[in-house]
Amino acid sequence: MKEMTIKECYDVFGGDYNAVLSRLMTEGLVKKFLLKFPQDGSYDLLIKSLDEGNYEEAFRAAHTIKGICQNLGIESLLASVSPLTEELRDGKGNFSSELLDKVKEDYRAAVSAVNTIDV
Amino acid sequence: MSKESDLREKILIVDDSEMNRAILSEILNDEYDIIEAENGTHAVEVLQKCSDEISLVLLDIVMPEMNGYEVLEIMRSKRWIEDVPVIMISAENSTETVDRAYELGVTDFIARPFDALIVRRRVVNTLLLYAKQKKLSEMVSDQLYENEKTSNMMITILSHIVEFRNGESGLHILHVQSITDILLRRLVQITDKYKLSSADLSMISMASALHDIGKISIPDEVLNKPGRLTDEEFAIMKTHSAVGAEMLDEMPFYKDEPLVKIAYEICRWHHERYDGRGYPDGLKGDEIPISAQIVSIADVYDALTSERVYKKAFSHDKAMQMILNGECGTFNPILLKCLQDSASVIKSELMKKTAVNPDEQEIKSLADALLNHDELSTSKRTLNMLNIERIKNDFFAEVLNEISFEYLASPSTLTLSKAGAEALGLDSFIVNPLQHDKILGMIDAMELNNVSKTIHDTTPESPNAEYNCKLVLNGEIQNKRLVCRSLWSIDRTPKYIGAIGIILDLQEGR
Repeated sequence: MKEMTIKECYDVFGGDYNAVLSRLMTEGLVKKFLLKFPQDGSYDLLIKSLDEGNYEEAFRAAHTIKGICQNLGIESLLASVSPLTEELRDGKGNFSSELLDKVKEDYRAAVSAVNTIDV
Repeated sequence: MSKESDLREKILIVDDSEMNRAILSEILNDEYDIIEAENGTHAVEVLQKCSDEISLVLLDIVMPEMNGYEVLEIMRSKRWIEDVPVIMISAENSTETVDRAYELGVTDFIARPFDALIVRRRVVNTLLLYAKQKKLSEMVSDQLYENEKTSNMMITILSHIVEFRNGESGLHILHVQSITDILLRRLVQITDKYKLSSADLSMISMASALHDIGKISIPDEVLNKPGRLTDEEFAIMKTHSAVGAEMLDEMPFYKDEPLVKIAYEICRWHHERYDGRGYPDGLKGDEIPISAQIVSIADVYDALTSERVYKKAFSHDKAMQMILNGECGTFNPILLKCLQDSASVIKSELMKKTAVNPDEQEIKSLADALLNHDELSTSKRTLNMLNIERIKNDFFAEVLNEISFEYLASPSTLTLSKAGAEALGLDSFIVNPLQHDKILGMIDAMELNNVSKTIHDTTPESPNAEYNCKLVLNGEIQNKRLVCRSLWSIDRTPKYIGAIGIILDLQEGR
């Protein structure tokens, strides 16, 4: 796959690059944090906690991902992880598996977009 | 322009996501020193150690172990929030969430996604606001202190006029005041029966200086008669208590002021007796205001230990014995206990007090009590010294390789030295240690309770305690000796804060 610019990457997320840039001030910072995104452990924690039925932990992990997506403007993943966070909030584990599949799909898409950023 | 690093303000960022911490840190680290905490427990640990040094906390809500709300609750109960502002940052932005955060005392709430410029701006504003407030509090507190010093001085001058005419001991009022103060502090430690606030304590000590103002009305030949008084003369002498009270009561102004009311009680009733056989009103037991009861016992002690025209001075021990045996009147048993408990303090306190040194004690700041802020004027220098103390502490703990610990009662936390944590197989920082599973696996719950009680039963005057106990370590029972010292607040009424200590091996046969 060809290397993407950060702006192209935001096209994949469905996010507003200019808005993120104005929030975080420099392209350097946006890039620095985007590149950290695939290393953040919250997603793995979410999947693991759901497997183990630890819904409180799953809620916190989903919540963290939501916060990160908000800060970095990863809109596509934000759109699926936000409702999942709300479903997990009561800690009872009544969440829709379609929604989880959507989160997985959006996460992979976001990570693979980030991985193609020209470093 | 870059500032010296020790002048930079410290910001504590509390968020479970490393990424979120990194973003905030990146936004702020040009201007501030950043400390990071990954959950509420860790944040409390940092604040516990150095809340004086933290200028601001950025706090997430949803976190494992201890969430943001719980951190705020602790910051409130420890009153840290009065000096350390908190800005909450969260992806939660429902009205209830924001409302609850404000109710718990946050200064500001920033919703995600946040804008770097706004974060900086709000941090700057919050810090400025708090700095101004702190400055104002300091000014108010200094002013109050000055005022109190002045009024203390006026009271001292006034009572010295009375003393001067008396021609006896110019030290008498100072002594009565010191003893009153010491007895009061002990009294509130052992009972809350009399509902005395720290403002009450300071007013009673201050007003005690006025106990004999009525003597101004006693004729010279009676007041300064070297020999024994006749019954008639004694009757005149006895009027001084009622007269003193009357003088206060007839003042055109101020007579409803608390200080004047307390002074009235003391003047009128400091010669009453607990058994009802005193004067002028023959009040009995707790009909006599506690202020007057205390000044009465202080007055008797000082009269016994001072030389008078008609008698020699008795020694401290003799005076104590005479009072406790009831040779000098009957007193409230609780106050006799206070006197016994404070005997050594009283003895040493009176020894060091001289006429030219009216002691800082009397001008101890009521302002502190009013503002309830011990640390208001903590200067940078004090902070540096505290820091050095901490480094020293850590250094010795590490070099000596001992199991040493620090326990704070509220919130209940235990900090172990590095060697201690290793030897005991525990974390170096534990919240609620008295309910901690691993600790309870090491020591019997009842024994742990006894340890805690032994430490609690110490006093600020004799804070050391030792305790031998059995600990289960690595499956085997070991005899250990616990040597510790309790810690007390520097308030007028010292409060139990916790303890520091060391755990030693107890060798067989020793």
